[in-house]
Amino acid sequence: MPVRVEETSSSSSTSSSSSAPSQLSGENASGHTSPPVCTLLTVGQAFSGTQNVSSIQKDEAWRVNVRIQGCDLDHGYLCGTMEALNVPMADTPVVTFWEGEIVDGKNYTFFTGKWEASSEDDIRHWTKFPSFQPFLEQVKVDGGKSLDLNNYPYIFMRWKEQYFVNVGTDCGLTIAGFYYVCFSCTDGSINGFYYDPNSSPFQKLELKSTNEGRSGFSFSSYELQ
Amino acid sequence: MPTANTTIPIHGPVDLLTRLDSPDPETKLKALREIKNQIIGNRTKKLSFLKLGAVPAVASILSSYATEADSQLADADVSISNIIVQSAAVLGSFACGFDAGVRAVLDAGSFPHLIRLLFNPDEKVVDASARSLRMIYQSKLAPKYDFVQEKNMEFLISLINSECENVAGLGASIITHSCETSAEQRALCDAGVLEKLISLLEGSLSQKNATLESLAAVFKNNPEVISKFVGLENERAVEGSLSQRDSSLESPGTALKNNPESVSKFVGPESGSALSSIIELTKDRYARTRLLACMCLIVIRKASPNYLQDIGIKAKLVYLLLELLDDPGQVGDEAPFVFSSLVAGKEDLQKLAFEDNAINKFCNQLQKGQLHPKRLQGILLALADLCSKLEGCRLTFLSLKVLNQVIDALTHDCADVRTSACICLRSVTRSIKNLCAGYFMKEMFVIPLIRLLDDPSVSVQVAALGAMSNIVVDFTTRKSTFIQCGGIKQLVQLTKSMDSTVRFNALWALKNMMFLADDRCKEGIFLELTGSLLASLICGNDYSFWCFGTFRHDPV
Repeated sequence: MPVRVEETSSSSSTSSSSSAPSQLSGENASGHTSPPVCTLLTVGQAFSGTQNVSSIQKDEAWRVNVRIQGCDLDHGYLCGTMEALNVPMADTPVVTFWEGEIVDGKNYTFFTGKWEASSEDDIRHWTKFPSFQPFLEQVKVDGGKSLDLNNYPYIFMRWKEQYFVNVGTDCGLTIAGFYYVCFSCTDGSINGFYYDPNSSPFQKLELKSTNEGRSGFSFSSYELQ
Repeated sequence: MPTANTTIPIHGPVDLLTRLDSPDPETKLKALREIKNQIIGNRTKKLSFLKLGAVPAVASILSSYATEADSQLADADVSISNIIVQSAAVLGSFACGFDAGVRAVLDAGSFPHLIRLLFNPDEKVVDASARSLRMIYQSKLAPKYDFVQEKNMEFLISLINSECENVAGLGASIITHSCETSAEQRALCDAGVLEKLISLLEGSLSQKNATLESLAAVFKNNPEVISKFVGLENERAVEGSLSQRDSSLESPGTALKNNPESVSKFVGPESGSALSSIIELTKDRYARTRLLACMCLIVIRKASPNYLQDIGIKAKLVYLLLELLDDPGQVGDEAPFVFSSLVAGKEDLQKLAFEDNAINKFCNQLQKGQLHPKRLQGILLALADLCSKLEGCRLTFLSLKVLNQVIDALTHDCADVRTSACICLRSVTRSIKNLCAGYFMKEMFVIPLIRLLDDPSVSVQVAALGAMSNIVVDFTTRKSTFIQCGGIKQLVQLTKSMDSTVRFNALWALKNMMFLADDRCKEGIFLELTGSLLASLICGNDYSFWCFGTFRHDPV
């Protein structure tokens, strides 16, 4: 979800380098398998909730809808759209496209290694999730390369917004930062923290899976050829 | 100082055909020579002579003079031999790279005469006949040679063993053309053909090339034959090295001799083997030999996981094939196809090629414009393979602004080019990032693709449906563009196609079209499809689950 461009911000709202499936970081040779297939982490699945964008001056939360549009677990890749609904300076909901890196120890580790995030920033954010605690000591050693996250009921990810879908880059909002995300395979809930050195710290994203867009037991889906 | 005009008069086709009928052997011979000189490398001339019935006329000369030569046993008249040589050369020239010519030569009944002439005592006659037969065997129209029959195998081996370059090359060409099944591969292997072919790798340029092609045919999808090929050669290497060693090594040597896998581990998979000869040929001074050596190595590595899998050989193959792309002739036309066979479905190789600027190199070729249809087809297929898995490749491709060339190729005269352009678009439109941005749901893509749904070629229709299935996923509200362009109507029509692949792909596109479609879009599809057609699709074909999937949980 885009956030306001802060006065102190020097970043532009253009997207940074794409975290496409082919561009792997934190790659290692250990034979980890992909995270378990989770029925709530599939194409078409929708989530809704809020992002807290409070500052010292004002308490504020924007309503947020997320939909998963693409998923490639082999490459630790996920993507989708994020819609911010009650953005004060926008006439319409603001939709952005994001790409996600799934921390699987194979394609990606807990260390971001880009987007202006140091390993200290990473640990500071990941430790906000109680479900991360068992991994803390090992992550300090190797970023989590040697961890087996295969059967863990939570999936850790980073979501990076890449571009605005329905508004121009001059909308007064920025997508310079990225989210540390923890997804619960059990109930489909998502917690996240937005990180941008030039924005308010620890803006919390809270989403729950919804039935929006479906009338039965599954979402409509697509298959690329 | 003025000199006498010695220019040889050029006769027209009709005049030359009349001269072929002359009872005077000298006139006949001159006419044959002139036809040969006129048609060589000239497709238009070949066609005009073909229309006038030149092939049956020449075939008749070959037949009657071959019979006459037979009756004279040894020491046939020189003029008879010359006429046979020239008529065989003319027939070969008609067949060279020209399927209509091959068909005419076969229809005229020359094939058995040419085979019979391989036993003629005159070396020139044998050479000319073998050369013509090689031209015929370059075409798919050539008759399949059944070498599983013992006598045929003996004949084939006699060809490969021949001292005559064209005869041995003919043997290799017959293998390339006719070896298709694993039983045939095994039969050739058991008959000792591999050993003969290995020796031809050290022959002349044409022998080397013909041998590389035939080896590829014998190896294709057959790890057993490959293992035998490598093992046989390594046995020789091991024997050579063992003879210089202490007798205490005799025991391991014996063990290795009966175990090709152990041999390859012992001496390294490529050292001292025929594999190293083939690898060596990738450095040959002739581009065609380098290309064929690459092709042969690719066939080996695809069929057998034991050989040529290291990063060094992969990088080398990628580099060599990209280099061969710059060849302005036939080699450059064929290189993209060989490159495709290397990277298709192999993400590691696609990544390697990407890092070697392959996308840029192929796109540079596309930007040159006015490419030979074969080359254009190959480049589009190579780009399709490169962009099939890696988003980085797709983004680079899109950044190089060659989409207009791909879109132009959608309306190319050649069906294979149109198909390849669709396949290229299918790969590129797998970019979810660009689908989400609505990048592909534009008239410039949609209109030509919808037109291709009416294409007379089923391959083009299926390929167009493939690209369309991706484009219609479009996550934005631009699906109306597709409806306005008449896309739904066309897709629904194709769900009634006689061809099951077309039906299947049309349903696939409709299913993707329904993804996150608004009610108006769903109504449009349902009105066009109608309840009765949907019901018949569900009941009447193998893809009923698709039909259910199309409207499942998405009620209008």
